[in-house]
Amino acid sequence: MGGGCEVDQARLSQALADAVAAGGAESALAVCRACVEWLPMTGASITMMTVAEVQEPVCATDAVSARIDELQFGLGDGPCVESFRTGRAVLVPDIADPAETRWPVFASAAAATGARGMFVFPLQVGGARIGVLDCYRDVPGPLTDEDVTGALRTADAAVWSLLDHGRTGSDGEPEPAGAVDGSALTRAEVHQATGMIMAQARLGAPDALARLRAHSFRVGRTITEVADDVVARRLRLSPDGVWSTTGGGNPTDRATPSDDPVDPRSRDDEEKS
Amino acid sequence: MSTPSAVREQALVTAFVRLADTLVADYDVIELFHALCGDCVALLGADAAGLLLTDQRGALQVVSASTEAANLVELFQLQAEEGPCLDCFRTSAQVHAGDLATDTRWPRFAALADDNGFTAVHALPMRLRGETIGALNLFHRNRTDMSVDELAIGQALADVATIAILSDRNTRERERLTEQLQAALTSRVIIEQAKGVLAERGQIPLDEAFTRLRSHARSTQQRLSDLARAVTDGSLDTTPLLR
Repeated sequence: MGGGCEVDQARLSQALADAVAAGGAESALAVCRACVEWLPMTGASITMMTVAEVQEPVCATDAVSARIDELQFGLGDGPCVESFRTGRAVLVPDIADPAETRWPVFASAAAATGARGMFVFPLQVGGARIGVLDCYRDVPGPLTDEDVTGALRTADAAVWSLLDHGRTGSDGEPEPAGAVDGSALTRAEVHQATGMIMAQARLGAPDALARLRAHSFRVGRTITEVADDVVARRLRLSPDGVWSTTGGGNPTDRATPSDDPVDPRSRDDEEKS
Repeated sequence: MSTPSAVREQALVTAFVRLADTLVADYDVIELFHALCGDCVALLGADAAGLLLTDQRGALQVVSASTEAANLVELFQLQAEEGPCLDCFRTSAQVHAGDLATDTRWPRFAALADDNGFTAVHALPMRLRGETIGALNLFHRNRTDMSVDELAIGQALADVATIAILSDRNTRERERLTEQLQAALTSRVIIEQAKGVLAERGQIPLDEAFTRLRSHARSTQQRLSDLARAVTDGSLDTTPLLR
């Protein structure tokens, strides 16, 4: 919209990659800060969905952002809650527009915060919703294509930061270090491998993806390469959380591609139904 | 009465009637895309068809293909970096390559197409009021210059896919576009995950897993996306799919 300031996608992507690579508890906040710095947003926050669909605020760049989330979850109404419920992006050019009638309860409360444009992006791993990225700005107006592109990239980075959140160390994997494979979420193999690991180790999609990613860091390969090994049945994760290459089930940290012919039957018969 | 053109005309009518029926009902956009890719193969004599959509992050993603063979999906996928689909998407114009053997525009793509036995490729843009949201990709095993009629039919099928993305009579069109595009991409991710779950449980190939998923969705009359979701969230007993 007016002003014509273009989004510097390269700088944004770099800032997001740095934020994710830093890992740890601060990672999610760094993602939100990158969003506010490089996109025309006034504030941003991330809310995580824990088990049983309970919301847990993770971080916010400013008090208004935090307040917006708090209000919505308190009232059970608003774009953030809707995105949480439906798993869809909710883009509101102007929450104060009288024609905007979707959230009658929240709208009046929102006016007091000074927020006008509100843009919420679901954070999910396939069908599993893990949270939302909630952005606002104090001027009304729709997002440009460039803004949407940047916001979706921010949401992808937020997914990676949440996969780390609260999981570090719990499964014996080291804290990730190094740049995230930015295109990983666009690769079919990564999702297929996630599904296979879900079945192998009886995990939900976010945990399966987190394990895949942690393993890729551990062996110093890209997540796509490791996913290829899983899909080719050269690498598997047992229910007790041990990675093994096929051919003997020997636990190994090195996921070097096996030269053994892939025999789909050489597996432990673990699935009951 | 059963001249070749009359037969095709009948097939065309059937396809578009089915599409129209789908569009007025509550439909699964991924399911509709799969049907469209199948129609391209059946109606246009193509040997394979795929549909790529913008992910709004600056890349194209495969959301549907007439066959889920891994090597073919890879061929579609490569076009996010190089190939007729990407050119078609960028220029919003049809891209024709009737004979890849003599075409020098996309060396990597042409080599991979050749490996898979494809000689010709055509890409048709998915356009909506000045916006291009993806491209329909048609492959032929033999050198093929599609006729004006065939291209018109192909473009009409691509247009239907575009409308399917944005059929909602909602005035918040930009928001809807992002919602629908992201929802279609998410459905695709869930289907890939479900393929992985089934491939592992049944120790079957991934394309076989997709076939089972699709036929089970049909025989039980549920949406492919809903079934895939039930497989991934563990709410479905997958035994019947793996027998």
